[in-house]
Amino acid sequence: MITNGCMLKSFKVTEEKGNPLPPQREKKPKTSPCVLRCGTAYGNLLAMDDISAEWMTSPVRDCGSDNDVSNDDDDEDDEEEEPIRKRSKWPDLPIPAPWYGETSKETGFHRSSRLCLNQIRECLLEHRWQEAAEYLISYFQTLEEISTPRQLLATEIIFRLGSEILHQHPNSKLEDVNHFFDLMKNTGVRGYLKISLEHSFHLLLTGNFDDAVRQLTTAESWRYGKQSAVQADKMKLIHAYRGFLSYLSWISKKGSSSEDDDGDVSAIQEMHTYFRQACISLQEILKLPGVWDPFVVGYVNMLEFYNDHEGALNVLKEYAYDSRFPPNPNAHVYLYRFLKRQGSTEKKQIRVLKILGALVPSHELMLELFSLLLESGTEQSLKEALDVLFNLLDDCSWKHSVAAWTCFRNMIKLLRRKKLKHLLEEGWETRKDWWPAFHFRTYHARADFQLSRQLLLMKVVVASTLVGNKCMYCRRKNELENEREARRMIKTHKKRKR
Amino acid sequence: MDEELIGFFREPCSQCSVVNWGVTEEGGYYCKSCHNVIERTVEVTDPSCVTGSRVSAISHGAKKPAKQKHGKDWMVCEGFQFILKQQAEALLAMGVRPELKDDILCNFWRGYLHKSQQAYTTKPLYSVTSQQESDSCPESLAASELSCLSKAETESDMDGARSTISGWSSDGGRLSSVCTEALDSSLYCSARERRMHHLMTMPMTLAFLHLSLLWLQEAITLADLLRFTAEGHIPYINAYQNFPEDMKLFGRDALIFRVESLPSYKMVQEEAHNLAIFLDLPRFPPLTSACLLHPSLLCLRYLMELNLPDELHVWVCWVMQQAGVGKDTFLTYDPWAEKSGLLNYDILASALIVVTLKLLFKLDDQQEWCLSNSADDENKQNQDSSIFCFRKWYKTVQGALVVAKEAEEQAMARKSWKSQKPVYPSMRNKSVVIKRRRVVEQLQAQFQKLTGSDPQPRQDSPSSFRLRWGEEDGGGPSYQGRRLGSAVKKRKGSARPSNPTYWHTALSSCKPRHCTDHFLEMEDSLPRSYVSVLGMVSFLLGVQETHVHAEVCLLERLLFKRPCQPRTKTSHGSRRKK
Repeated sequence: MITNGCMLKSFKVTEEKGNPLPPQREKKPKTSPCVLRCGTAYGNLLAMDDISAEWMTSPVRDCGSDNDVSNDDDDEDDEEEEPIRKRSKWPDLPIPAPWYGETSKETGFHRSSRLCLNQIRECLLEHRWQEAAEYLISYFQTLEEISTPRQLLATEIIFRLGSEILHQHPNSKLEDVNHFFDLMKNTGVRGYLKISLEHSFHLLLTGNFDDAVRQLTTAESWRYGKQSAVQADKMKLIHAYRGFLSYLSWISKKGSSSEDDDGDVSAIQEMHTYFRQACISLQEILKLPGVWDPFVVGYVNMLEFYNDHEGALNVLKEYAYDSRFPPNPNAHVYLYRFLKRQGSTEKKQIRVLKILGALVPSHELMLELFSLLLESGTEQSLKEALDVLFNLLDDCSWKHSVAAWTCFRNMIKLLRRKKLKHLLEEGWETRKDWWPAFHFRTYHARADFQLSRQLLLMKVVVASTLVGNKCMYCRRKNELENEREARRMIKTHKKRKR
Repeated sequence: MDEELIGFFREPCSQCSVVNWGVTEEGGYYCKSCHNVIERTVEVTDPSCVTGSRVSAISHGAKKPAKQKHGKDWMVCEGFQFILKQQAEALLAMGVRPELKDDILCNFWRGYLHKSQQAYTTKPLYSVTSQQESDSCPESLAASELSCLSKAETESDMDGARSTISGWSSDGGRLSSVCTEALDSSLYCSARERRMHHLMTMPMTLAFLHLSLLWLQEAITLADLLRFTAEGHIPYINAYQNFPEDMKLFGRDALIFRVESLPSYKMVQEEAHNLAIFLDLPRFPPLTSACLLHPSLLCLRYLMELNLPDELHVWVCWVMQQAGVGKDTFLTYDPWAEKSGLLNYDILASALIVVTLKLLFKLDDQQEWCLSNSADDENKQNQDSSIFCFRKWYKTVQGALVVAKEAEEQAMARKSWKSQKPVYPSMRNKSVVIKRRRVVEQLQAQFQKLTGSDPQPRQDSPSSFRLRWGEEDGGGPSYQGRRLGSAVKKRKGSARPSNPTYWHTALSSCKPRHCTDHFLEMEDSLPRSYVSVLGMVSFLLGVQETHVHAEVCLLERLLFKRPCQPRTKTSHGSRRKK
């Protein structure tokens, strides 16, 4: 299962450049719901909680009674003659949708659909695709739901369940999937673009790159009265992905043309066409606030290839510093890498990394920041470097990192040499009540020793400096060392005997 | 206008699967939504037409289907009559006596039509002629018609269906008749009118059936009737699908005939009682002990279904006698009797069984297990298992019930509610509704192909019994022939339970309508085995536990006519003595 990595951890993951994977595989941080996101991850389909969440959060406009056959309930196809008039009556506030759970007034039909959904959910969680598909046959009737909010919800649920089941069912073929997506597109015209996008993701997953491109091209030219205007946001995404796929084609062309150096003119021209296509769409999407990591990487990659370093720098700066965009650590990572590639001054690099450190103190690039700061060598920068280290080791994931503790040990040595040990006190002041329990317990020593002796030795230096020679960690270390020594003695003794 | 032609051609577009066809000047069809022109041209449906020109053929062919499509004008009560007829036929197919349909139900129905002024009357509730003439001579309208008209006018603003129809009819008189709702369906749409004239609803069809079955004293109780309905043996959900061709449902008819849930036991019972009063029915034929609806016979059936030993029946009859619920004066239904409602014979019978179990085994989470231990000992001594052991019975039945409940839930999850022939709420929505139906069918077909499953699930034949015992594919061993053993003691020549005491909840009856249901608040304090037995019984009947509990309380009140007793342990060795 592919997950749309949203954890802090994903910040550490570096992206491989020019890897023609479906873009939703790339990990990116979570964004606030008000901004667009480029990955409507196909992989999320399995997460059934999302469906429940959808139930809770989908905007409701009409909570009228279910038997109410109001006029504009089914007018999605007549949108041209019937403007979306009633909708304005209900403000688009983020009120939670009604939870269609069990109530005393529940009709038999709704009870059936609720039970059916539960059954499908169970089946999916236990990977019983056949049974899930059988239940889904019964669940299709919810498409004929009378009340609009429920109907829209049913479309969404059926689309998600159906595509997941078809994706996993042993008997399903590509034609089935295509047929299903086509049907779903025409059932919910309101979700046409979204379903098209998901369709192309599915095609990418199954390796049908050209079909995916075709799918997006069709979606790009889709017009349906007012519906296409309503889905303008989705349209932008479609354009962006279309551009991204052009970028991927560009990469494959680049790879093939670099192999034979003769430089086929037509191939270069084709490559340039892809470049222009990708540029136009990617430029557009990058103007909108959002998290566009794969797009930015692709765009910058192309610009660099054509030696437009100025343009690439501007794009990255815009992406990192524009306040309309949500805070995105990756933006700073890209900018830093770009600067490093370009060989710009250390000062600039440090500035970028400091911002990144403010966002994610435990980012793996912090070690680089540390060494950059050490190189400059002033007292101020030493103090900052120490802060960076302290912050880094506050995080659980760095607890057993030999590199980090080695840096700390070196730092202490350096401070001793420069007679600046008082700098340690400041960082230690806030941590002295919890770091001993967090890092320097007896069992930490044992665990560290099992992990690597190097780690133990590094940490002991730090512990004895910060906590004191007689701390638990140091005592335990001594015991462990003694044991080790004893064992070595016995071994050598035995050897000698032999 | 080529709407008629288009209505005639209903295949979905191959490009976008919408059914929204237009006809080009050349007579070819094109899809209005995606502008896809298809090969097919308008077919000349009238063989008598020999004109060569295609255009004239269109105009010629257009009239004929329009005339065919023109449904007959019909009233809502005709629709209900059709449904009742079908339901009665389904009952006859199950083996009910044929008098049900031709004599009893028919008479009830006629009486209803007469009383509600829908037919057999000189002053009909709704008359076609007066409606049409209403413009010219409004003063001749009866009061009820006036109210109905004004209602229709005020509603027309809000109700889209109505306004759409009038919009269509302004195009031409013929068009409006292509799709019309029943003539008087507007009457049915207001709750006030419905109440005032006691108009039909779908649950009332079941009330009619229940009254007729009760009059005939057939063995089908209300719980059975509802179960057969839920299982689809009696047409109820989407019963309108089978209407004759010329009765077309449209618009508001959907609100009257579409069913999205099954009525509850209580609801049908109340409807039936109200109906009996409305119809001014006389006292029903006396219910003697020979009738299948008599508690003693019903108890036999439920004992068998609950897998309890036959020997218990003697005790059940004894309890029935003591409580005085076996007499025909108590059992016979009289709509006009004081303090009368419809008796729930099935719940009464099962409550009798529960009371008997309480009498013999006490069901206080202790005594029944002690008795089970002694039954086990006896069985060990005799080297057989002829003595009824409560523990074994409990385990068997509870296990079978868990399986049955699960199966029921799964069946509910797979239940199909939507009609093959959808009703269009308005002309404008027609294409959307048809398209949606089509998509559902296509999706179902696709997934049926994928799973290789059978489109039509097999249907079991109707059966009075939900659980079967002692058979190979049944729920478990049968305890029917077991003896009660040490649960019953012989003393001075007469048998009496070895369990000395009986517990019951407060006997004081609550004020009706003020507080009705104490079961939920008490449930946690009641003994578990009692609650489980209630659960078994209520599952078999398809009612809630609280109904059975209420009936048990009623029986206990009749047994010990001592009001205002808090929950006590009453020793009643002397009371029970014959």
